[in-house]
Amino acid sequence: MIDEGMQEQAAAYALGALNADELKAFEVSLRVDPELRALVRELRAVTEALAGTVPALEPSAAVKERLLLEIDPRGGTGAKATQAQPPRRALGGPRDAAVGEPVSGPAGRPVQAWIPWAVAAGMAVLSVAFLWQSTSLRSQLAAQAGRINELTASAELAHAESAELRLTVAKLRESNRLASFRIALLDSLLAGAPTAIAVSVWDNERQDGVFIVRNLKPLPSDKDYQLWIIDPKYPSPVDAGVFQVNAKGAVREDFRAKLPIQTANQFAVTIEPKGGAAVPNTKAMVLAGS
Amino acid sequence: MMADADWTVAEQNQDAALIERIRGGERAAFVAFYDRYSPLLFSVAARVLGERKEAEDVLQEVMLVIWNKSGDYDPQLGTLSSWAVTVTRNKALDRLRARTRRLRLIEEAAILAEDSDATSYPSANEIVHGRERAELLREAMKELPADQRMAIELAFFTGLSQSDIATRLQQPLGTIKARIRRGMLRLREQLGGAL
Repeated sequence: MIDEGMQEQAAAYALGALNADELKAFEVSLRVDPELRALVRELRAVTEALAGTVPALEPSAAVKERLLLEIDPRGGTGAKATQAQPPRRALGGPRDAAVGEPVSGPAGRPVQAWIPWAVAAGMAVLSVAFLWQSTSLRSQLAAQAGRINELTASAELAHAESAELRLTVAKLRESNRLASFRIALLDSLLAGAPTAIAVSVWDNERQDGVFIVRNLKPLPSDKDYQLWIIDPKYPSPVDAGVFQVNAKGAVREDFRAKLPIQTANQFAVTIEPKGGAAVPNTKAMVLAGS
Repeated sequence: MMADADWTVAEQNQDAALIERIRGGERAAFVAFYDRYSPLLFSVAARVLGERKEAEDVLQEVMLVIWNKSGDYDPQLGTLSSWAVTVTRNKALDRLRARTRRLRLIEEAAILAEDSDATSYPSANEIVHGRERAELLREAMKELPADQRMAIELAFFTGLSQSDIATRLQQPLGTIKARIRRGMLRLREQLGGAL
């Protein structure tokens, strides 16, 4: 039976979250405990599943080309570079090696008169074969080009959709005052919308922030969501502005507090009448977190 | 239709055969591994690093590890693909640490929120395992309590230690460790035969 402490270490190990000392100690236990190794194996599969939930992207074809050149610059078909390579063969197939060999019979035997005709006929057959192969390859190339275009378009779409967020982050980076950032995760307080979630990134030095919400229900036109900052300096939460979400329940807003913030301990979102309220309606709190 | 456990066994058998052939220096096996897993590994690297160019460099590094150092892979500790994911994540984080960690953290926090409703995108799991199984994995992640998911994702994608996460989320270290443990064990139970 693996105790909770060891389970914690196994989970962190599978995620790569142990520090150097913890890692060293855990790997000692791992070597001697087959049950622990089995648990790690399962947790690593969980980690792989987690990793796979990210939006899918395709690397460019150039990566594969570079890799194949690197593992075998000669472009061999089988073994690693350190091992013997089979002789390379042209696309035409096993008989291509014969093309270009002198047209002659076995050593010492004179060339028969019919041989040039036979060679000519053979060349004609090869030409037809190459023509067919070339057409087939062109068709495959066109299909591949289409697939590449599709993938490029998908990647461009994904990039465009995240560009706005990245622009915001870039602006934050330019500020060069990162030490004062406060990042808070706000969880849903609504039984009917448990997946609602928000992140607030607050720059205390600049006294502004970015607020990102997902899965929050759109409100009727006479209501607004209102963001609040809980600062122990003040007896009640500080108004940080109102917002609406789009039809998908999402929004990203820049915000400022109505009063100077000393310590942004917590953030909360309430539903208020259109335009917001001076004090929060705590019975209508939908998100909160620190 | 194959049951989840059948899927998994079939995939694991394929991977076990693949690693043997890669260890034997068979280039075609390496190409097959690349074709199967490069979208997953590239997507993980891109998620950690936030840009394609560096993610491609990481993918190339990882693939060379697979080719040249497949002897480092220990099948007792996981499948070939889970090992490759770990190597990818670690190499991407090495690069990330060369930049400013705090800068990245801000972006990551925002991206976590952005991706919490990323159902409109096909996931890397979908490319590797097919839509049905990917949906199962996605649902399992969604059912995880938000605090557990946050702690797990921060640990994996940002490379923060558990202590760092505790500081970042202003929670006791013991709470973070418990969240990660509970979340990982719960996912293991939920995913069951799909792993």
